[in-house]
Amino acid sequence: MFARTALALILGATGVLAQSIPDRPEKLTFAPVTFQIPRAAELKARLKNGIPVYLSVAEKEASPLVRITLTWRGGSYLEPKGREGLAQLFGAQLARGGTATLSAEKLEDRLEALAASLSSSCGDTSGNLSLTVLEQDLDEGLGLMLQVLTEPAFAQDRLDLAKRQQKQGLGRRNDAVTSIASYQMPFLLYGDSHFASQDPTAASLDALTRDDLKAFHARLLHPSNLVLTVSGRGARKALLAKLDAGLGTLKAGPGAQVSPAVPAPTHVRKPGIYATDKDAPQAMVQWAFPGLRRTDPDWHAALVMNQLLGASGFTSRLMKKIRSDEGLTYGVRTALGAGPHWRGDLTGSMQTKNRSVAYALRLALAEMRRMCDEAPAAEELKVIQDNLIEAFPSQWSGRQAVAARFAEEALLGWPEDWWVDFRAKVQKVTPADVRRLAQRLLKPDQLVILAVGKASDMEAGDGDHPGKLAEILPLPLARLPLRDPQTLKPLN
Amino acid sequence: MSIPIACRGWLAALLVAAPLAAQSIPVVEKTLSNGMRLVMVERHDQPTISLGWMAQAGSADERPGITGMAHLFEHMMFKGTRIIGTKDAKRDAELNDLQDQVQAQIRQEMSILRERQRRGEIADMMDPKARTPRLQQLLKDFDGLVQEQRGLVVKDEMDRIYSQAGGTGLNASTSQDRTFYIVGLPSNKLELWMWMESDRLANPVFREFYSERDVILEERRQTLESRPGGVVGEAFNAMTWAANTYHWEVIGWPSDIAQVTREQAAAFFATYYAPNNLTAVLVGDFDPAKAEALAERYFGRIPANTKGVPEVITLEPAQPAEQRMLAEVETTPSFQVEYKTVSAVHKDAPALQALAGILGGSPAFMGRPGAGGSGRGPTGRLNKALVLEQKVATSASASFRGQKLGGTFSLRATPAQGKSPADMEALLQTELDRVAKDGVTEAELQRYKKATQVGLWNRLETNSGIRETLSSFLAVGTVKDFEQAQTRFQALTREDIQRVAKAYFPRSGKNVLITQRAAAPKAAEGPMDPDLAALPEPVRARIKAQLDTMMKLDAVALKEQLTALEGRLSAMPPQARPTVEYLMKKGRERLQKLEAK
Repeated sequence: MFARTALALILGATGVLAQSIPDRPEKLTFAPVTFQIPRAAELKARLKNGIPVYLSVAEKEASPLVRITLTWRGGSYLEPKGREGLAQLFGAQLARGGTATLSAEKLEDRLEALAASLSSSCGDTSGNLSLTVLEQDLDEGLGLMLQVLTEPAFAQDRLDLAKRQQKQGLGRRNDAVTSIASYQMPFLLYGDSHFASQDPTAASLDALTRDDLKAFHARLLHPSNLVLTVSGRGARKALLAKLDAGLGTLKAGPGAQVSPAVPAPTHVRKPGIYATDKDAPQAMVQWAFPGLRRTDPDWHAALVMNQLLGASGFTSRLMKKIRSDEGLTYGVRTALGAGPHWRGDLTGSMQTKNRSVAYALRLALAEMRRMCDEAPAAEELKVIQDNLIEAFPSQWSGRQAVAARFAEEALLGWPEDWWVDFRAKVQKVTPADVRRLAQRLLKPDQLVILAVGKASDMEAGDGDHPGKLAEILPLPLARLPLRDPQTLKPLN
Repeated sequence: MSIPIACRGWLAALLVAAPLAAQSIPVVEKTLSNGMRLVMVERHDQPTISLGWMAQAGSADERPGITGMAHLFEHMMFKGTRIIGTKDAKRDAELNDLQDQVQAQIRQEMSILRERQRRGEIADMMDPKARTPRLQQLLKDFDGLVQEQRGLVVKDEMDRIYSQAGGTGLNASTSQDRTFYIVGLPSNKLELWMWMESDRLANPVFREFYSERDVILEERRQTLESRPGGVVGEAFNAMTWAANTYHWEVIGWPSDIAQVTREQAAAFFATYYAPNNLTAVLVGDFDPAKAEALAERYFGRIPANTKGVPEVITLEPAQPAEQRMLAEVETTPSFQVEYKTVSAVHKDAPALQALAGILGGSPAFMGRPGAGGSGRGPTGRLNKALVLEQKVATSASASFRGQKLGGTFSLRATPAQGKSPADMEALLQTELDRVAKDGVTEAELQRYKKATQVGLWNRLETNSGIRETLSSFLAVGTVKDFEQAQTRFQALTREDIQRVAKAYFPRSGKNVLITQRAAAPKAAEGPMDPDLAALPEPVRARIKAQLDTMMKLDAVALKEQLTALEGRLSAMPPQARPTVEYLMKKGRERLQKLEAK
């Protein structure tokens, strides 16, 4: 205390203290930080049956936990017609339905005794089985994981319960504008027959049996469908030996198949403005332009363009205009889909009160037009580039995240060293590139817009600003009926 | 040597209890000369730092009329300072003064409207149609000032500076007890954080104040009003907390959000955003001694609030009688019972948390003070009994939520098809009574203890995870509470849990929320009965009304009606037939149901 006062007096007398805070943050200088990104090849190993493993482990890790995740290629795109919901149920039940030698109750009891978690899930194109366990309990945890993986029982009562829960969930589909939008948009983008819009119905859930789950399991359980990640505390060599002794012995069973490529949608989109009527205080608005793949030579320019448009929070133009200037929304954002299986979409979404939908969309479209008309100022572009480059190390924080990223990318077939020159490529993007990509992607005549809310209010506009919903773009405006929550058939 | 069976659990517990998570995270705590606290954790795994500072002020520090104020700062603190966010600080300040003057006149007009609404002359003072001509003119004048200021604003400059420096997750969050401002930065940018954060504390300007109120109203619509059950949840909370300032939601009542003034905000800031009410949390790749010196230079320049920060005085009185709320919500029916319990740092909090964990299951995500035991774990007693064995519910959970000024304990269940929410009440009560009568088993307790350790580690593996966990303790207590959390859990006995199960759940303490599914609002055109939808639009409303009347008949009367309709059918013109056939179809379905009973 005394020393501090004395120091302050000395500094104060010489004026150093006052001067030591610069008047602008730009005047601060920073020592460089060097960051080498982890390389997939350094983490990677293979089990003796060929399953790739990405290990990010250390013996001195403070946390005593080990996390092991087995990811498989395969999901709802493999569901037979009329069995929608199979992948999701399979995913949920794999770790919940017991094994050939352990009932569901016994399995849960053992896991609880270890304070371990073993969970599974399956989505459209992939799924996983994931174990978190204390290092001291790793052997038993791995044993349980392997049992669940190779001989799951899919106990009938657990399956019945899951079906009851899911059917209750179906009943909530039309309760909120967000959940309505999340089933409507895939129909607009992918059509009625592509897996991306094929959600479970009451009938398809009723039809699903234990045999369906078993058959689905059998077809997926092929070493060529699997990728493994390990993170947390442990020695790499010893862990690999353990995994080889267990998972490494897995062979393709009789029904096993290498999962085929994910089918691209064939649906021809009908650009337009679609309104679904739902009486709610606030509307959900979503839109989509056809995008590109991450392997496209222009990907980095598209990424920068998208950050500038709507993907970088308050730094992005849409957020500044629609939230900060106009107070019309709590948030607006865009996203550039990487399109692992077919080209992605450039999508956007916001929620705003029903009467503001037309005006907020008009503002959004004007910002997009500006992106196409004028190249951004170099300083504005630099903010976006600096952020992507400077924040790059933080994208690689945490062992689990790094291992998971490499595994996921391997499963999707992205190049292993894709991130190595990421920063350099972002740096090279010019204002002219951004404009070019805006012109390539932000084509209003390709746009699909969905607005879920009170249709009469959305269509009328707010009165204070010009324009009805039908007038925001020269595209057809159509009412899109709600779907029956149980059958997903259009109502009205 | 043989060990008596009853002791085995204890021995095992001693063996696993060795790595007490929180104790092995070394925390350095310092206090600056103006009273601001620094809480620091050094970790050098990667070149980043997770940073944050907390104002120990939340919605519980508000009063009626300014509800939502604490959360308003979560927005205003990003609007810049005298240095950041404007091209012309002088004109900017003048425009703010002018705006305040016009707003004062607007308030006079609003006051007239409030009186009209009070007398029933208008329905809603916020309705644009109710505006007086003078108000309309004032709003126009105000808009002109906003437009001029917009020309001077450097939009979201703070965000831009952080973004460019590699900042991630720049954000803030508000709870009842605190407001927390966070960002992640590359490790070489610690001084930038000191500059930016001390600047917004030392030189705040609540720019774009009045338009931001609209953003918050949109936020309220999005996060509360348009969520099924949102406003019912708000009302239920208000019913539960009668006197305590947890009575209102963090976001505040709409009337207050719309009418709060910059002057009120400045007063709140001067009181609660003084350094002696602030705590910074730094986790990651830095040197604490250097950080302390930097903090003294930057934050140390802000004067303390010498008057001291007011405490919340109002205590929640003991609830004299059971309270029940019966609601219709557009979602799956549900049952909930909530009891007021104790603060997160109360000596009984760990036992209540354990009780929630053992009833609710899956406590592996524990680790925050008072936010535990919630979940739908397969091994929780409620799930085992109600969902797996009796199959009367599709989910059942228990949770203890400990906050600074108090806490709640909730039991929830979603009834299975064919069961009603009200059926859940006795079943949940039975499970609670069982613990009060027989306690929990030693195995359950030991498993719970192990799960809390894993749960805590789950949250302590990343810089930001440590920052969040530490801050959740600091919001309600001290670093010591964080460090001793595991010791307190490991010291729990079966008797502790049985004791709290007996002590905290009197019948008069019950707050019950029963929700039934509401029909979709009438104004919406769907989801409509497809048969009805097939009828011509002009007759739908009339047919619907007839149908509603018909559905209220008993079996005998309904049968008569059907016979009468059938008799008339042959005499009908063909175009009218579908409507009658529709009514008959629905009538027959209804009759079948009635007769089945």
